[in-house]
Amino acid sequence: MATATLERSRPRAGGPSGSAWPRRRRRGGWLLLLAPIVAFDVLFFLTPLGKLVASSFTGGAYARVLADPLVTRSLVNTLTIALTSTVVTVVLGYVIALVLWRSGTVMRVILFAVVLLPFWTGILVKNFAWAVLLQDNGLVNDFLQNIGLTDAPIGLLHNRFAVIVGMVHCLLPYAVFPIFSSLTAIDGRLALAARSLGAGEVSVFRRITLPLSTPGISAAGLLVFIISTGFFITPVVMGGPGDMMIANEIDYYARQLTDFSGAAALAVILTVLVSVIAAVYQRVLKAGGHHETL
Amino acid sequence: MLNINSPLLNRRSLLKAAAFTPLAGLALSGCSTKASNSAPANTTVTVTSYGGSYNDQLTQTILNPFAKQSGIKPTLLANTSLAALKAQVQSGDVQWDLVEITAPEYETAVAEGLLEKFDYNIISDKGLPGYAKAEYGIKYLSFLFVMAWDEKVIPDGKAPTDWAQFFDQNRYNTKRSIYNQLSDSSVLEAALLADDVPFEKIYPLDVDRALRVLGQHPGKDKLLYHSANQEPIQQLTSGEVSLSTSFNNRINAARADGAKLNFAPQNAVLAGDYFVVPKGAKNKDAAFKLMNFMSNDAEAGAAFDKVTNLTLANTPALSKLPREIADSLPTSPKLADKILLRDDKWWAQNLKQTEQKFKLWQAS
Repeated sequence: MATATLERSRPRAGGPSGSAWPRRRRRGGWLLLLAPIVAFDVLFFLTPLGKLVASSFTGGAYARVLADPLVTRSLVNTLTIALTSTVVTVVLGYVIALVLWRSGTVMRVILFAVVLLPFWTGILVKNFAWAVLLQDNGLVNDFLQNIGLTDAPIGLLHNRFAVIVGMVHCLLPYAVFPIFSSLTAIDGRLALAARSLGAGEVSVFRRITLPLSTPGISAAGLLVFIISTGFFITPVVMGGPGDMMIANEIDYYARQLTDFSGAAALAVILTVLVSVIAAVYQRVLKAGGHHETL
Repeated sequence: MLNINSPLLNRRSLLKAAAFTPLAGLALSGCSTKASNSAPANTTVTVTSYGGSYNDQLTQTILNPFAKQSGIKPTLLANTSLAALKAQVQSGDVQWDLVEITAPEYETAVAEGLLEKFDYNIISDKGLPGYAKAEYGIKYLSFLFVMAWDEKVIPDGKAPTDWAQFFDQNRYNTKRSIYNQLSDSSVLEAALLADDVPFEKIYPLDVDRALRVLGQHPGKDKLLYHSANQEPIQQLTSGEVSLSTSFNNRINAARADGAKLNFAPQNAVLAGDYFVVPKGAKNKDAAFKLMNFMSNDAEAGAAFDKVTNLTLANTPALSKLPREIADSLPTSPKLADKILLRDDKWWAQNLKQTEQKFKLWQAS
C-alpha cells in the first residue's frame, strides 16, 4: 500500500506488447464500471473546480493577492507549520507503529483503539479539548502551579506550539498506518539472521528495520504534509493571529473581503504549490529509492 | 442460446443503470428543490442574523407576534454574512429574504448592486427615526460597543470607567479579549479614546496611532481575539479573560442567565446594523411586511427594546417603555454626550484597507 501511493508502477520489460491488447479489449466493458465515479467527479468535482480556476483569472486576482503581505505571511506560515507538524507526526507515528508491530495481540488491539479513537472524533471536538487543557486557567497550567513548578500561567494556547500540538494529534493516524503496514511487510527472518550473525538490537533496527520501513515513512510524510497544508480550524481555535494559514486567508478573502476571485486565486496557488512540492518529493525519493530492491 | 445470453444482457443493463445512477440522483434532487420552492411566494420569509441569545430574543419579541398577525411564517437563521448574500445573488439562487449586515457592509452591498430597493409603500416610514431610513435597507438596530468584565475577578467598584483604564496593564494584570474584525466592532476607536482623543476628534480615524496605542497598552501578548459576538461571554465566564469588548445586549442576556458579568455604558461606541433584501429574493414583499411590522408595531417594539436593551428603529415603541428602560437604551438622550457615535461613512470608505492593516498588525 505504501509504495503504491508513491511510485508509479515501473513499465514492464518491453512495455505493453501487441499480444497484451486483445485481452484488454475483451475486458473493455468493465470500464463502464468507472462511469458512475467519472460522472460523479465531472459533475461535482471537476466542474466546480473548473469554475473556481476560471474565476481566479478574473479581475487581476493573482496580482492582487500576491501583493498582499498577509498572503505571503500565511503562505510562509502554511509551509513552516505543515513541515514542522509533518516531522513531529512522522517521528511520533513511527514510534507508535514500532510499538504496535512489536506488541502481542491484546496490546495491539488496545493500542489500535488508542490511535483510532481520535481518528473517529471530530476535529473541532479534539481542538476544543486541547484548548480546555492548555488555556491559562486550564488543567495543565493549574497542575504546574499546584506542584509549584510555575507561579503564573505560561502561555500554552494561542501560539504556534498549540497549533502544532493540535495538528499532530489529528494527523497521527495518517502516519501510523502506512508505517505500520510497511513494518509488517518486513520478513522476520532477516532480523533473526542478523542476530545470529551477532548484530545487537540497535544494529538490527538501524540496518534492517529502518531501511526496510522507509517506503512507509515517505508515504506517511507525503500524506501528512498534504493534509496539513489544508488545516483551517486548528489555527483558528488554538493559534494566535500570527499563525494564520492559507486556508484561513482564503476564508478571510471570501467572507470578510467578499473577494471571491481573490479567494479562488489563493486556492489555486495552494493547490499548485502542494502539487509541485509533492512531485519534487517523489522525484527525490525515486532517485534515492534503492532500498526497494532489498 | 437465449438462456446463455440473458445473464450477460442483464449484467450489461445493470452496468448501464449503475452508470446513470448519479445522474438520476441529480435529477431527483433537482426535482425536490423545485418542489419546495413551489410553495406560494410571500407566505414565508427567511431572516438571517448573528445567532446566540439575540436570535431567541428576536424570535420571541418580533417574529412570533408578526407570524400571528400576518400569517406569514418566518424562519430565522444564525449565519448571516455579506459573502453568502453576494454568492446567492451572483448564482441566482437566493435563499434569504431579509438579511442583517453591518453599516459598512450596507454601503458595500449597495455599491455592488446586491440589494433590492425598499418599498416604502409597503413599509410605512412613520415609525422610523431619521437615521434609520435608507434606500436599500433600514438601519433597524442600534447597539453599544462596550467594555465588559468578569465580576468574580473585578468587582463593579473597581471596574474600568474609560478605555484608558480598560487597557491599563498596571490596573488589571490580566488578558483582554478584543474583536478580531472591525466591521461591527470599534476596537480602534476604543484605543484612540484610551489615548485621550476627544469624541469629536476620533474621525477620520488615525489607524496607525490606534495600533501603536494597542501595542503599548496593554501590548500584543496581553490581547486575545474573538471572532463571534457570543464568544466573549464564553471567554469571560470560563475565566479565560476577565476583560473583553462586547455589546451591551450580549452582556445583559448573559446576566439574565445568571452570569456574573457587567459592562459600562459610558464611553461606549454607538453603532448599528441594517436589514436588507438581497436582489432576487423570493419573498421580498413578505420581507417588507415584516419590516413594516418591526418599525411600526409599538407593542412588539417595546418588548424588543425591553428584552434586548437595544434600540429598535421604532419610535412608537419608546412611549410604551418604562422610564428606566428608555434611559438605558443605546440611543437614550441621557447617554448622548457620554458615548461616541460611530461614523458609518468613514468606515464604508475605509473598511477594507483598515481591516487589512489591523489583520497584518495582529499577525506581525
